[in-house]
Amino acid sequence: MLRKYLAKGVLAAAGLSLSLGLSASISAKAQELTIFWAEWDPANYLQELVNEYTEKTGVVVTVETTPWPDFQTKAFQEFNAKGDSYDMVVGDSQWLGAGSTGGHYVDLTDFFKKHKVADIMAPATVKAYAEYDGKYWAIPVEGDATGWAYRKDWFEDPKEMAAFKAKYGYDLAVPKTWAQMRDIAEFFHRPDEKRYGIAIYTDNSYDALVMGYENALFSYGGDLGDYKTYKVDGIVNSDKAVKALEMYRDLYKFTPPNWSKVFFQENNQAITEGLVAMSMNYFAFFPALNNPKVNPHSKVTGYFANPAGPGGAQHAALGGQGVSIVSYSKNKEEAFKFLEWFIQEDVQKRWAALGGYTCHAKVLESKEFRNATPYNEAFYQSMFMVKDFWAVPEYAELLTAINNRIYPFVTGDKGTAKEALDALAGDWNGIFKKYGRK
Amino acid sequence: MAVFAQLDAKSAAARRGWSDLSIRNLFIIPTIVFLIVFNIFPLIYSLGYSFTDFRASVSEPAKWVGLQNYRELLNDPNIWRNFWVTAHYVIVSVGGQVIVGFGLALLLNRSFPMKGLVTTLLLLPMMMSMAVVGLFWKLLYDPSWGPVNHALGLGNFEWLSNPDMALYAIAITDIWMWAPFVMLLSLAGLSAVPKHLYEAAEIDRAGSFYTFTRITMPLVTPILLIAIIFRTMEAFKTFDLAFIMSGQPSTEMISIRLYKMAFQEWQTGRSSALAYLVLIVVVAITNIYVKYLNKVKER
Amino acid sequence: MAAVRTPGQRALSRVAVVAVVVATVIFLSPIYWIASTAFKPRALATSVPPTIVFTPEVTSFVKLFTRRVQLRKLPPKEKYNAAPWWEKAIYDGGERVLRVRGSVLLSAYPDRFVNSLIIGIVSTILAVGMGTLTAYGFSRFKVAGKDDWLFFILSTRMLPPVVVAIPMFLMYRAVGMTDTHVGLIILYTAFNLSFSVWLMKGFMDEIPREYEEAALIDGYSRMRAFFKIVLPEAVTGIAATAVFCFIIAWNEYAFALIMTNRRAQTAPPFIPAQVGSGLTDWTTIAAGAVLFLIPVAIFTFLLRNHLLRGVTFGAIRK
Repeated sequence: MLRKYLAKGVLAAAGLSLSLGLSASISAKAQELTIFWAEWDPANYLQELVNEYTEKTGVVVTVETTPWPDFQTKAFQEFNAKGDSYDMVVGDSQWLGAGSTGGHYVDLTDFFKKHKVADIMAPATVKAYAEYDGKYWAIPVEGDATGWAYRKDWFEDPKEMAAFKAKYGYDLAVPKTWAQMRDIAEFFHRPDEKRYGIAIYTDNSYDALVMGYENALFSYGGDLGDYKTYKVDGIVNSDKAVKALEMYRDLYKFTPPNWSKVFFQENNQAITEGLVAMSMNYFAFFPALNNPKVNPHSKVTGYFANPAGPGGAQHAALGGQGVSIVSYSKNKEEAFKFLEWFIQEDVQKRWAALGGYTCHAKVLESKEFRNATPYNEAFYQSMFMVKDFWAVPEYAELLTAINNRIYPFVTGDKGTAKEALDALAGDWNGIFKKYGRK
Repeated sequence: MAVFAQLDAKSAAARRGWSDLSIRNLFIIPTIVFLIVFNIFPLIYSLGYSFTDFRASVSEPAKWVGLQNYRELLNDPNIWRNFWVTAHYVIVSVGGQVIVGFGLALLLNRSFPMKGLVTTLLLLPMMMSMAVVGLFWKLLYDPSWGPVNHALGLGNFEWLSNPDMALYAIAITDIWMWAPFVMLLSLAGLSAVPKHLYEAAEIDRAGSFYTFTRITMPLVTPILLIAIIFRTMEAFKTFDLAFIMSGQPSTEMISIRLYKMAFQEWQTGRSSALAYLVLIVVVAITNIYVKYLNKVKER
Repeated sequence: MAAVRTPGQRALSRVAVVAVVVATVIFLSPIYWIASTAFKPRALATSVPPTIVFTPEVTSFVKLFTRRVQLRKLPPKEKYNAAPWWEKAIYDGGERVLRVRGSVLLSAYPDRFVNSLIIGIVSTILAVGMGTLTAYGFSRFKVAGKDDWLFFILSTRMLPPVVVAIPMFLMYRAVGMTDTHVGLIILYTAFNLSFSVWLMKGFMDEIPREYEEAALIDGYSRMRAFFKIVLPEAVTGIAATAVFCFIIAWNEYAFALIMTNRRAQTAPPFIPAQVGSGLTDWTTIAAGAVLFLIPVAIFTFLLRNHLLRGVTFGAIRK
């Protein structure tokens, strides 16, 4: 008797769970999208933006985040396992090579053609955040470049202006060239008063130091190599590059003490704690400096775009990310629909209003955008002169090599710039040979 | 007669419950099996990778390259520098932990009010995550906004940006964090020394030095050695502290190099080879310690 | 026999007490700095020069538990005045709390904390339990290749986590154990077994065999002798092992980061990552660290008498 009931019970339970499972899987699918990004304010702004998409279509979009230092690790780990935890990823521009050749990103070239994305977004951003090997792999989401914050009150103090003019022979003002920036840094470097000239990136655990150096290198008219032919000899160690590296080392001398492992946090702290006259940082981090509750000097903090070099060239190191569809996602259709919505002009306007750094050309050029904050004008200028690091799949090995070579020179004054860059050329040649690029 | 009594008792015990053999198996086998399952697969996988040029970030299959990874690593002067830095660090850090930890244990090995509370308080440094410790000590060491220079009146003295000082600064943090570990184990060992031995020594009018070297040390050494073995193994794996606090070449530990190779450059094959090199070194060193431990036990 | 202390011994005692006090102060001052940072207003955490005296506030704890964004512009007066005290504090700090349909969006911290508790406690119980049994087995019985087995157990702790991470991750993925509590529990148990076996064996070896032998002669079975005689003697060792295993599992970072995501991730990867508005949010990190310290501290404090208990020796003399 008992056995009969038991058997019936088991069958019923099995049937119930089966049907529940089926219905759950049917109903739960394709109504959710997950976007993976690093944990910072723009991700929060994106979450607010996509909530509007949810209201409109009922598709729940979640922006899942992880801290910056772990972002690359977690993303690629998921890719390598061919996992479907994330439908879309807002990846760094350097990931384009690895993402596309590794088969992790969905090819968006047709999407670009259909919706004329290349015309909608600023050309430099399309090239930097979307294109690899002639195809398109991401939609530019968060534009970014390095710029500079400075203490207007120090610059506009009449006593300082007089002393500066007396010492250097020209007016103290926002530097137009790196040579001027160096003079200003030297002028304001007063360790006894706990005031220092400048704050620059030096962290060599990933790409901070290199991005900082790029600002000098590109404006000096130099390059890291020919991105098409992989030639580095005579380019990465050119005279211009040597001069740029020496300038960067010179600037390190005017940084606060213990400044050998800094990235965006410390460079912002240098301004909020009133330590420096000028500080280098990505525009993404300037909202903090503009916030009076975070930066006691916000009213007197000004911003300028990366200065030009001796030859008149002016460029800024590229930051920023674009959103790609993960090829292992089970919701690709839904993701495409989302992207169609995302690229619309009013959505991009909304994105900019919330705090995202849109790459939409029209929105960028609008007076509204450029006047919205003290730094937007400098941002707008920078976005049309950005240059990037290598985007090949082995970019991280190239990063390790350049970190190894230039870090001891910049922070420890070991060796000469020429030696460091010549050795680097050798390293990079070796790496390119290993991957059959030469 | 006692021997016979023992034999009898044992066989009687065997009849009464589990036999010694089955107890031994029951107690040991599950752990061994568990550890084998959890370690053999990753170990063999990594060993396999180490002979290939596999990169986990691309979909190309792994290609066999034999000993090439090992050869390249052993010929890379940077790798040797990393090993040297790590060895230097291990010696300074573990040495410091033992001196401070054991010293503290000796101090605490007496009764005084609130001994339990004080012991718990002294264990606090160890109770925090290494990432948090690294972050905050980086702040503590900063000449501009950190209290260390402020309290010691050191002005703008650079701890972590000074290539010569950086390793020692990190070691100090490590010692601060883990000396309590050595302290607690030493305390446990010290309190296990039978009181009657001390009493006998007192009756014999033995001096404190004699008591210490002939009674205390031999009995505490086994536990102390276990502490040293584990701290040495962990010190070789030091990653968080050094990664967060400093970027100097003079502080680039082998595990930092390993991390960059595995998770930034995604050179999975090569990093597996490097990991095995590290394993060989650690096995060799630990072997020496363990042999010494067994010798001490037999005395 | 009453201990008669010479004047030399008494002086040494007093010096020792002073030394203990000094050592405690030195050791604890960084902890004090971290704890005080948790109660500082954000602006003072990295002030130049460092701030020693300040008015404490609990804003950092509010920040720890909420998801926030930077303020783009100040809220309208009515909204500000209508907000509860903690939300006002957030506004004052230049941020606003994220709300979804009226209710506050909590940060991941509470979930992560609970995950840490579950995973930490269970894995410690397993590691100490299995470790004690195994240690006894190796200590008392003949095992073929004992030293080799012990060395194997030790070697499971020798590889840096980075290396084991990828195959481990793939292995877990294959059986669907990524981002599960069980997955991390098993991993941490395996992780801590090496330590608990070795440490407990060290303590077991110190316990004289005569005790069990006496019990066996008295008619106890081996199993009963183990539970009734040996284990109570081993309490110091068990307490120490439990404390360490718990601390290690509690603060483990690398595998927690790699193996888990939303569902089962523990607190350590979360706490140091508090970056608010392009600046390291030191006060919130400190708040997270302070709260996270409490369970471990309580656990250790509860066990303090067991940790310091000496092994007592009764009738049997060597």
